[in-house]
Amino acid sequence: MKVPFRQFRYESVESLKMALFQIKANKTRSFLTALGVIIGIVSITMMGTAINGIDLGFEKSLSMLGYDVIYVQKTSWSTMGQWWRYRNRPDLKTLYAEQINRIITDNPRSELLLAVPQISTYQASARYHDRILEQVFALGTNGDYPATASGTLATGRFFTPGESAGDEMVGVIGDDVASGLFPNEPAVGKSIQIRNHRIRIIGTYRKQGKFLGLFSFDNQIIMPVGAFQKIYGKEMFITIRVKIRYQQRVEEAKEELLGIMRKIRRLPPGKEVDFSINEQKAFKSQLDPIKNGIAIAGIFITGMSLFVGAIGIMNITFVSVKERTREIGLRKALGARRQTILLQFLIESVMICLIGGFVGLLTSIIITFAIEKVIPDFPVRFSPDLVFASLGVSVITGIISGLAPAISASRLEPADSLRYE
Amino acid sequence: MQEPPVIIMKELCKFYEMGDQVVRALDSINLDFRKNDYAAIMGPSGSGKSTLMNIIGCLDTPTSGIYELNGQNVAEMNDDELALARNREIGFVFQTFNLLPRLNCLRNVELPLIYAGVPPEERNERAAEALRKVGLGDRMTHKPSELSGGQIQRVAIARALINKPSIILADEPTGNLDTATSHDIMNIFGTLSEVGNTIILITHEEDIARYTKRIIRLRDGKIESDSRK
Repeated sequence: MKVPFRQFRYESVESLKMALFQIKANKTRSFLTALGVIIGIVSITMMGTAINGIDLGFEKSLSMLGYDVIYVQKTSWSTMGQWWRYRNRPDLKTLYAEQINRIITDNPRSELLLAVPQISTYQASARYHDRILEQVFALGTNGDYPATASGTLATGRFFTPGESAGDEMVGVIGDDVASGLFPNEPAVGKSIQIRNHRIRIIGTYRKQGKFLGLFSFDNQIIMPVGAFQKIYGKEMFITIRVKIRYQQRVEEAKEELLGIMRKIRRLPPGKEVDFSINEQKAFKSQLDPIKNGIAIAGIFITGMSLFVGAIGIMNITFVSVKERTREIGLRKALGARRQTILLQFLIESVMICLIGGFVGLLTSIIITFAIEKVIPDFPVRFSPDLVFASLGVSVITGIISGLAPAISASRLEPADSLRYE
Repeated sequence: MQEPPVIIMKELCKFYEMGDQVVRALDSINLDFRKNDYAAIMGPSGSGKSTLMNIIGCLDTPTSGIYELNGQNVAEMNDDELALARNREIGFVFQTFNLLPRLNCLRNVELPLIYAGVPPEERNERAAEALRKVGLGDRMTHKPSELSGGQIQRVAIARALINKPSIILADEPTGNLDTATSHDIMNIFGTLSEVGNTIILITHEEDIARYTKRIIRLRDGKIESDSRK
């Protein structure tokens, strides 16, 4: 048992050396052959980085919503686009937040921690002297808001519960609003004008980025509910933000909140709910199929280029077998077995593919790096998985494309091939 | 007591089908080779020399009859067993030398040992020793393209010797060499024969055959004569 293994080892080393010899001896041909694999691997890994990037951007966006916050709203996030189903539901009230808080403080085993009201509009416009920002997201809440939201303050402070209870006209703004209205001066202490009211800026947020590339957390003006209602009235979109105790127990928390809301809404058992409890997972379940669709289509298309590359390698290996018929005959005369010849040609094609894979991988790492430098927001991300996957794919491509020529080489008759001209 | 023959052939036939005709390349050959034989197989082209050499060299199997190489029946061997037999029992020397042009002399000579599973250091040592035996101790790292025809054939002989085969099988070993170089090569075979190697060579040149101790003449696939000196 030991000698055959040693023999196999020596033969493999010999084949490896011969493969390197061959590749070095035919540089142009080897490069052109490997090009198919290089292009294939570049396209596959670029696709991979894009999918990774989307995933990453997505995770980042979801973490902005908070994994430990659930939202009571009139509509559901998981059936977005079916607004008619929710049209006839009664509006929520900011008051619910207090009612929920009262119930959960009475229950020491509650899964819920804190409810915060939110009333908002996308249509706000803010003015400071001659500078005007349109389509600002104005939001009314209370002093507990920071506990349920991501983001940290860059300057100033958030308003206190006292200020919010007193309906004071103060506000905290996002980074885009701050830089848009106050490009060259500190925002804190200035007053901006919204409709006919003035809001005094007491704090600014650090830049946070966009949610799924759609909604910007930097484009907000946050003020007490009372102040908001003075400007826009009470008929605006209301959300109750509820912070939960344990991230892992979202389902239990939702269940409890559902019961509390039914109680507040006085819904008899069996009656359909007229509100929705949303969490960030809803987005995931909506966007995952899209992401997977992109991934499957992308991998299929990029796989085609690799397939073309594999055919190229098969072709070249067939040519190489033909050219080296005498060498194959000689090796067989000297004692090479079928499997030895098979292995030699397989190793050669795998080698070309692996080299192509390495070059392709390097190319896509450079491209990814360049994209990250030039367009930081573009969703690309390289991962170690991709390295292993693409090298694995290269090896498999090498085996698949080298197998048929290698088998035909191993089956050559030694006597005939020695005489082959 | 005499040792049993290295090669025994009994009623050995090799037929080829060419369309609807059957070509009898070898027809009922009965032939023995003993250890230390130094024989030439002769005959005009088409007489079956090459076919006989292919069968002796385990490159091909007979259609019928017995071919025993060191007591093993070659006719019943599969491809891998034939490869093993070629590796262990046969040392080939070809008319066209058949060295691998990319490898230097040492690496060319050690090739059979790779297929025999011999460790690298030992391979190197034995290849160097074999090259010294054929007088090429100072050409080990040269490539075939840097050597003369006679030197290349000596490298090939070193390669044939390296695995200590039962027989050295040379197919027109001087066919591509001038007279003086042919003489050198035949002298090497002569020396090898004297130290106990079994050598069979195939040739159509009487001058070359004269160096050997036994001449077998083939015609139309049959043995015409078999004479020892």
